[in-house]
This record gives sequence, structure tokens and C-alpha cells, in this order.
Amino acid sequence: MSLGSALITWMSLPYFDFETLPPFMIEKLPLKFESSWLAALRIHVAAASLSFPLCLSLMTRALQRHAVWHRWLGRITGLLVLFALLPSGLVLALDAKGGGRVTAGFLLSGAIVAAAMIAGIRSARRRDIAQHARAMRHVVGQMSVAVVSRALIVGLDALGVDPDVAYVGALWGPVLLSVAVVEWLSRRPLASSRKRIETVERMRRELSPFVLMLRIRALVRAFAGDGR
Amino acid sequence: MADESSLAQWAQQHVEAGLLKPLAERSSRFSRSRPPPHESRVRVTQTTLSRDKQGREFVSFSVDVRYGTGDWHADDIVGCAYRASGSVFVKSGEVYFPASRLLGKRVDAAPGVCRAAAPRS
Repeated sequence: MSLGSALITWMSLPYFDFETLPPFMIEKLPLKFESSWLAALRIHVAAASLSFPLCLSLMTRALQRHAVWHRWLGRITGLLVLFALLPSGLVLALDAKGGGRVTAGFLLSGAIVAAAMIAGIRSARRRDIAQHARAMRHVVGQMSVAVVSRALIVGLDALGVDPDVAYVGALWGPVLLSVAVVEWLSRRPLASSRKRIETVERMRRELSPFVLMLRIRALVRAFAGDGR
Repeated sequence: MADESSLAQWAQQHVEAGLLKPLAERSSRFSRSRPPPHESRVRVTQTTLSRDKQGREFVSFSVDVRYGTGDWHADDIVGCAYRASGSVFVKSGEVYFPASRLLGKRVDAAPGVCRAAAPRS
């Protein structure tokens, strides 16, 4: 998925060549509000290029073990997604190529990301780590649609499927499949994910203000003891 | 008859070399833009040259495309090629632009091109 994300970023570089129009835009011409649409596209691409790798790194155990880093990068990612990626995506979705079916697919995906991101932030504030993990998996799942969908477009093109049909299928399939996979992962029997629960519990312990206070008190006492 | 076939041949070769080939080279993979067509063909849609209001001679064409073994999609690109200058214009909405627009260049619409002037009575 990281490789796919890097590939999309690489392929998106022409969007920031201000002298030329990107091929994705040319096939949509004529556009009613050409410059606003192009601005929304650039904001969307830039926000996605940052937020998707950030989301993937936030899902790693390495970053989850460092609660402070995880929290701050999570805040930056949340702001990027809620205030740049989703609003620009909404503008693009309303004028999506392929008509109403594609617009509906992008709007559904965006709604899942928005709802899951807000639910994920609220559950993190409540220190409900399990619910936070589930919500954030939905965010990453929908973001992964960008990679899976492009891979499907390439694959279906190789099979000679009409690009208009492929475009709709390559959007709706991964959007619905991601929801199903995340829900399946979240409802797996607890015994099969004992390791995950241990990590969650360890994070909960590390994040608990009471435990933090105890640790600080022990540290202060140790210093005070040395001074006697 | 020979003139007609040479006109069609010239237009076909000119559009293929000046438009379709660069378009195929520019199309990107792993993006949401439409994949390049598996086959394209240039159809010259008139047998004789037309003249626009400024008296310049042009010939109209259409590009059809095909994916896999499916049907041909007619008129994927519609435009005209000017015989003397070799300039190619393509239609976008109701307006014609220099063909370089399809290759990403920011160019303004070209009013009056590709439209035959009314015959003098």
C-alpha cells in the first residue's frame, strides 16, 4: 500500500506543473469553473499525498508505541483530512467523470472517511483505543481505495474492459470491500487477536493520566530520597 | 479522385503524427485518467476542402477509438486540419481550440476556425 501511495504521488507531480493542464483535467473539458476545479484538484492531491502515508505510518506498531508522536501526527493527519482532503474531494466528486453513479461512490467514500475520522478522534479523546482503531481502519480502508481502484483500472484495461464500465466498478468495488474487510477485522474472535489486545492495553496503560501521575510521583520521591 | 484520396491520406497522416502519437506518449498509467485507447483511427469526414470565412482551406476529421475487442467509439475527437499551415484544431464543447490543448498547453479558443463559410450566391 505504501508503494502504491508513493506511485500515486509520483504520477501526480504533473498536477503541479502550472504551465500545462494535466491529462485527467483535459478529458473533462470544457469545465464551467476551470480554475476553481483545478485548484480543488491540486489541494486534494497535495492533501492525499501527505495524509495517506501519514495514516499508513500511524497504523504501524512502531509509531503506536510512541504515544506522543502518534498523538501529534494523528492530529496533523486529522486536520489535513477534515479540512483539506474531504472538502476538495467533495468539489471534485460533484463533477466526477462517469456521472451520478461515480459521484455517489465518491460521496459515500468521503462520508465514511469523515464519519470515521470524527468518531476516531472522539474515541481517542475518550481513551477508547479499540473503537479508535476500528474507526481509523475505516479511514485507511477508504484511502486505500485510491490505490486499489487505480490497480483495477490498469488490470481491467489490460483485459479490454470498456474504461467507462471499469471506472465505475473500480470505484464501487473497493469502497464496499474496504468497509466489509474492516468490519470483519473488527469483529474477529478475540482469541485470534490477543496480541493486538495486549498492544492496545499497553497503550491504554501508557496513556492513562493516573499511571502517568504515579510514575511522576515515584520519580519525584526517588529524587527527594536522594536529597536526604 | 486521386486528389480526394491524397487529401484524406494527408489529413490522416498529419493528425496521427501531430496529435494521436503525442497523445499516446503523454497518457499516464496508474492514474484516474482514461487509459490510452487500444486502437485509434482517423476518419476524414469530407472529400473536398472547405474554406473558412478568411478563405483558408481546411478538412474536417473525427477520431474513433476502441478498447479491447469492443465496439468503436465514434467521434472521440472531432476537429479539422488546415492544408496550408498544417494547423490542427479540436472541438471542446461548442468551441474549437488548437490541438495542443489536448496535449496540456494553455491556449485560447480559436473563433471562426473549422467552420465553412456560407457559399457565395
